[in-house]
Amino acid sequence: MSVLLDEAAMGEAVASLAGDIRAVAEHGRVAIVGIRSRGDEVAERVSAHLTEAKIEHDYGMLDISLYRDDLSHLAENPKLQSSEISFQVDGSHIVLVDDVLFTGRTIRAALDALTDYGRPARIQLAVLIDRGHREIPIQPDYAGVKLETARMDHVIVRLKKTDGEDAVELVTTP
Amino acid sequence: MARKDFLDIASLSREEVDLLLDQATPFKELFTRSVKKVPTLKGKSVLMLFYEPSTRTLSSFEVAAKRLSADVIELDVPHSSVTKGETVKDTVDTLQAMRADYIVVRHKMSGLPQAIARQTRASVINAGDGSHAHPTQALLDAFTLKEVFPELSGRKVLIAGDILHSRVARSTSSLLLKLGVEVGFLGPGSLVPRSGPEGITRFTDFDEALRWGPDAVYLLRVQMERQEAQYFPSVHEYHQVYGVTQDRFARIQGEGTYIMHPGPVNRGVELCHEVMDYERSLINQQVENGIAARMAVLYWLKPQTDSEEAERE
Amino acid sequence: MLIKGGEIASEQGAPVRGDVLIEKGVITEVGESLKAPKGTEEVDATGKVVAPAMFDAHVHFREPGQEYKEDIVHGTEAAINGGVTGVVMMPNTSPAIDSAAVVRTVLEKAREVSRIPVYTSGCITKGRGGEELAGIDGMRNLGVVMLTDDGDPVANPAVLRNAMEYATPFGMFFASHCEVAELSGPRALNEGKVSYQLGIKGTPACSEEICMDRDIRLAHATGARVHIQHVSSAIGMETIRWWKERGARVTAEVSPHHLIFNEEDIGEYNTHYKMNPPLRTSEDNAALLEGLKEGVFDLIATDHAPHSEFEKAQDFVSAPNGITGLETALVSLHDRFIATGLVGWDLVVKRYSAEPRRMMGLEPVPIEEGRTADLIIFDPSGETTFSRDFMKSRSVNTPFLNQTLRGRVEMVLRGDEVLLQREAS
Repeated sequence: MSVLLDEAAMGEAVASLAGDIRAVAEHGRVAIVGIRSRGDEVAERVSAHLTEAKIEHDYGMLDISLYRDDLSHLAENPKLQSSEISFQVDGSHIVLVDDVLFTGRTIRAALDALTDYGRPARIQLAVLIDRGHREIPIQPDYAGVKLETARMDHVIVRLKKTDGEDAVELVTTP
Repeated sequence: MARKDFLDIASLSREEVDLLLDQATPFKELFTRSVKKVPTLKGKSVLMLFYEPSTRTLSSFEVAAKRLSADVIELDVPHSSVTKGETVKDTVDTLQAMRADYIVVRHKMSGLPQAIARQTRASVINAGDGSHAHPTQALLDAFTLKEVFPELSGRKVLIAGDILHSRVARSTSSLLLKLGVEVGFLGPGSLVPRSGPEGITRFTDFDEALRWGPDAVYLLRVQMERQEAQYFPSVHEYHQVYGVTQDRFARIQGEGTYIMHPGPVNRGVELCHEVMDYERSLINQQVENGIAARMAVLYWLKPQTDSEEAERE
Repeated sequence: MLIKGGEIASEQGAPVRGDVLIEKGVITEVGESLKAPKGTEEVDATGKVVAPAMFDAHVHFREPGQEYKEDIVHGTEAAINGGVTGVVMMPNTSPAIDSAAVVRTVLEKAREVSRIPVYTSGCITKGRGGEELAGIDGMRNLGVVMLTDDGDPVANPAVLRNAMEYATPFGMFFASHCEVAELSGPRALNEGKVSYQLGIKGTPACSEEICMDRDIRLAHATGARVHIQHVSSAIGMETIRWWKERGARVTAEVSPHHLIFNEEDIGEYNTHYKMNPPLRTSEDNAALLEGLKEGVFDLIATDHAPHSEFEKAQDFVSAPNGITGLETALVSLHDRFIATGLVGWDLVVKRYSAEPRRMMGLEPVPIEEGRTADLIIFDPSGETTFSRDFMKSRSVNTPFLNQTLRGRVEMVLRGDEVLLQREAS
């Protein structure tokens, strides 16, 4: 097991992501929507950066468990949490935020979920870490860090609020 | 670890109960969206096997299943007593052939959903069996109470009416006890069993029961159709002695006690008309929460896969 | 045949080591270190119990009318499998055994297919309907001595009284299935903690007790002899004790399942624990066992009640009442009571071999010189697994299904015929 990113590197990655999103947010109102879980904490930090820069924006959280395509294959369904989308989705410019982009299936589920709330004018994707190995044609608009990983590796993301510390670890399987 | 079936409250652990109650909330939130549906059970089939007539429970389950994008099939079963020769095994074999994923069963025989669950790979949900259990009702009852009292432990709930024949009384009291609620049973001596569960206070006097200080009074429907030998002299007498009369309602209102009822209500029997307009009546919330609770159950259960079923046989 | 080195059981005291010499079906010698004539088959019974064969005074063979559950040939083979060499059939068949014609039919069938003697009781009322008296004299002429409407009580006490007045001078006696129908509800289980949990209206013990009291009083008033069947209630048992102390002509039986199981065993609606009268509490278990040891109960009888699997797979209320017992009785009594030292072989021989025969006016079959051989060899250190293959009954509705119990019937011998012989385990 190796540490890919330490607290400092994480901080830089979040700042980089926030910077990219800020550039978009300055041109028109955006809604930052974090994907639970952990994507919501990343989204929170991005939102904090925007607020500091005095850029008004909307903020929401999405739980995509009900939209996953793999539930039949799981022995136990993931614990469901509430989503919070309180802004007007019709005509909005949404920036979906997640911690790790991997196969892309989570994002597909998030897109389906969002469209059940309304019809956004535009959806963009911002991820803290892109670890490759896409299984469907989904690419991020903004990525904090790109990582080279093997398909069977586990990438473990820990965030301060959720896990007590900021770190990204890689566990390789032999 | 997920379960295959949802048959009663007694077999659930405290963790499972807490999980289900937590999970009902996100489902309730879906109701405020314009698209109330989610694709979670798309392609799955939910079979309704209602041997006892019931519009409200049946439609509550139907809405829950449809909002999860499942296909709902209502099996036309005779509402009269099961004819000789039509055994559980025959029913189960028919169901297996239809490859249902979820079967929702309501039957007047206690234990029938258990028997079906043992013999099929589908997830069986008990929608009420005889006088034994009505676990989804208990869930929605607890969920409704939690909305009013986030900390349920230490609260007091009085369940009043025909306890002897009531599956709602059994399941709801069982669940409330698991959550640390103090439960009281009130009813005519002939309808409150002496050999009930431990830890429940037994009352045969309504006014004494009110002095016990319940936070909520849960009224049970008086089953007029089940009396083979009379349990009480008349409906009029029942209302005077064991119903929420206008006098008792005034006291209840004064204390701010909540009122619950699983429905349908017998106006003038369990309660006087005025109760239906009481702002602390939770009866409508119970109905609304029924759909969310049932969605939570459908989401939580896992039918057996074909390979698991082969192993079981 | 020379049975060597076995522990010979009897109604008196503990089993005694000895040899048994049987020639031409008669026990010619019982003693130590016997010498057999040349060519005699020798059976080594070291460490095993040699006991008089059992007799079950309460079995349901379902013939005529419900042969899919059981019939006389399967029932009697099941009996032999359990070390039983004589049975009394109950008359709740279809048609009921309520006339000479039906008695003749079943007894002839038994003569034809059964390897052991079969006796039958007869109904008290026609069709067990509780109103008109059955064809009593015709049945008496064919050897019927026990009258019972088993399966139901005789609801109308006047009818029962008249039957008692009428049949007692013929030397017949009455066996009573005791309950008050109006109190019994759906006849599914005992009224108590478990019936509350399972949400099924239970049968209170007083239903059985009230009827027991009634039938004994009627018998006492009419001079009739009454035998109380399948007692399940400790308080009910006290009624029997009370009347016996006052010299009433009452006998009573208890079943192995009412000694061994109670309502908690029902678990999740397991119909293998459903019978009538129902299993009651563990207090009843203990009291009934004491009553058996004290002689309140004259005999042990199984109430062997076969039902098909699909019938027992129904919901708890709809499933028919009863479990099989012929094959499991002796082994289960050994496993639960003899092996644990709670009772001795003398009690089992007395109550499951000798007294049932006496009640029917038959001679018991002790292992004594001059008697016809009618015995079993039982291995206390062997085991029996009650698998479907092992059981000879048509039905397998027993709580012991697929369980392994301590004890094994190894041989059943009647006269010069070996009815059953298993390899030593």
